[in-house]
Amino acid sequence: MYFHIWQKEIKGELYTWKSMLWLLISSLLFSVTSYLLLTNKELSLLDQTELLWLLGKVIIGVALLIVTVDASSVITTEFEKETAESIFLSPVSLADFILGKLLSSLTLWLAIFAVSIPYILVTSAGSHLAIPFLAYITFLGTLGVLGFVLLVFAISLFFRSSKNTLTTSLIILLGLSIPAVFSTTLKNDVASQIISRVNPIDNIFSSLDNVLVDYHVSLLQNWQFIVPLIAFCLLAFILLLFAMHQFQRQGVIRSE
Amino acid sequence: MNMPAIISIKNISKSYGGKKAVDGLNLEIQRGEFYGFLGPNGAGKTTTIRMITGILRGDEGEIIVDGSPVSDKNHIAKLLGVVPESRGFYEWMTASEYLYFFANLYSVPKKNQERLITTLLSEVDLLKRKNSTIGTYSRGMKQRLGLARALINDPKILILDEPTLGLDPQGQLMMQQLLKRLSGAGVTIFLSSHLLDEVSRLCSRIGILHQGRLIAEGTVDELKQKTNMKDLTEVFLHLTNA
Repeated sequence: MYFHIWQKEIKGELYTWKSMLWLLISSLLFSVTSYLLLTNKELSLLDQTELLWLLGKVIIGVALLIVTVDASSVITTEFEKETAESIFLSPVSLADFILGKLLSSLTLWLAIFAVSIPYILVTSAGSHLAIPFLAYITFLGTLGVLGFVLLVFAISLFFRSSKNTLTTSLIILLGLSIPAVFSTTLKNDVASQIISRVNPIDNIFSSLDNVLVDYHVSLLQNWQFIVPLIAFCLLAFILLLFAMHQFQRQGVIRSE
Repeated sequence: MNMPAIISIKNISKSYGGKKAVDGLNLEIQRGEFYGFLGPNGAGKTTTIRMITGILRGDEGEIIVDGSPVSDKNHIAKLLGVVPESRGFYEWMTASEYLYFFANLYSVPKKNQERLITTLLSEVDLLKRKNSTIGTYSRGMKQRLGLARALINDPKILILDEPTLGLDPQGQLMMQQLLKRLSGAGVTIFLSSHLLDEVSRLCSRIGILHQGRLIAEGTVDELKQKTNMKDLTEVFLHLTNA
């Protein structure tokens, strides 16, 4: 059943001018970043590993922002455009509905990742980092996107309103992104270090740094970053399960 | 021996913010019956329909549909065809794509889908516009498409919440003829409508809801006799104190 929901989303939400615009914006941002990194006097003096790390941060950051904004309306529009009632009158379960929507958000991430591949290849030309860079962007990006989409879906089920879901999701995304872009020298105190250890975005960036700058490419050498990311996904999943439970208790039409 | 009712509503209540929308409603709909559900605006008709379809949870009471509690979603979804009050459509889809989508959700076998969808579109007179996007449809056309969607799973019970609202006279006639034919084929129909003339012509039994309570029930003739009124409109106005 989730397959048909996913198929509908691809046709109705992803294969549209809106998604094409998202991909165009991603492509422009990756172009500008790559161009500056390779040609700007100050930036081009950076070591190539640093350049790749900066590009990796931009790719993951742009993908998380776009997927979060898009996922904020994926479920809620079904309520706002009154299409949810006919969907839930059919034998589709809530789990199938969520899974179909999740696959569509992951498809958008894959499309953004596909757009980023040429930029990764161009900036890593001449180094031995292209393969680990691609592999870790895929792996860390998928985990990050998965965690955020699960969280956004949970928020969507609580609010059932695009505006509230988008605002809350962006506050969380920004709240986690801002400490992640601070340099490590600013994270001297215990509180900052703890936040840094549990912050999923911080862990993605640190793992990329570990892979690209220090060339620690095995998963074992990155476990300290991957485990908190997986924990974040699990936490978001548990929150989604709770939101689904609440949704089923309240019914598709909520008693105001 | 009497057959058990196909829809059995026992003492259901529903409140919104302390105000009772449905208040201890008891109702039994028999197999194959064409039941008319009347009531002024805000009487609790849509709330009752939403509780029967499982979309809304009641505060108290029990609803049994064909022997299963309404919470048994899988069983209920296969039995029911519903034209709900909310008229949301995927405006970017064509009518044909829309029905294929729902045929897949209801697991209609692939080999039957084309024939079924062509038949349904022809019955609601949308075959010529099957490849137009729903966004270009008039309100009446969307209503008819909603009915086609409700019939995609060949339901045993058809529940309609004001299905002729917004239809022109031809559309109303077409819908009434289709409902008559379905009723003749043994489908149980639960029709909520404000068109009293339509209800009195189509329905074998009528229930009148007022302030969340069932205040009268019976055939048109029985209701006229009870109230000493000439027609259903007078009966309705008399009972709802209009």
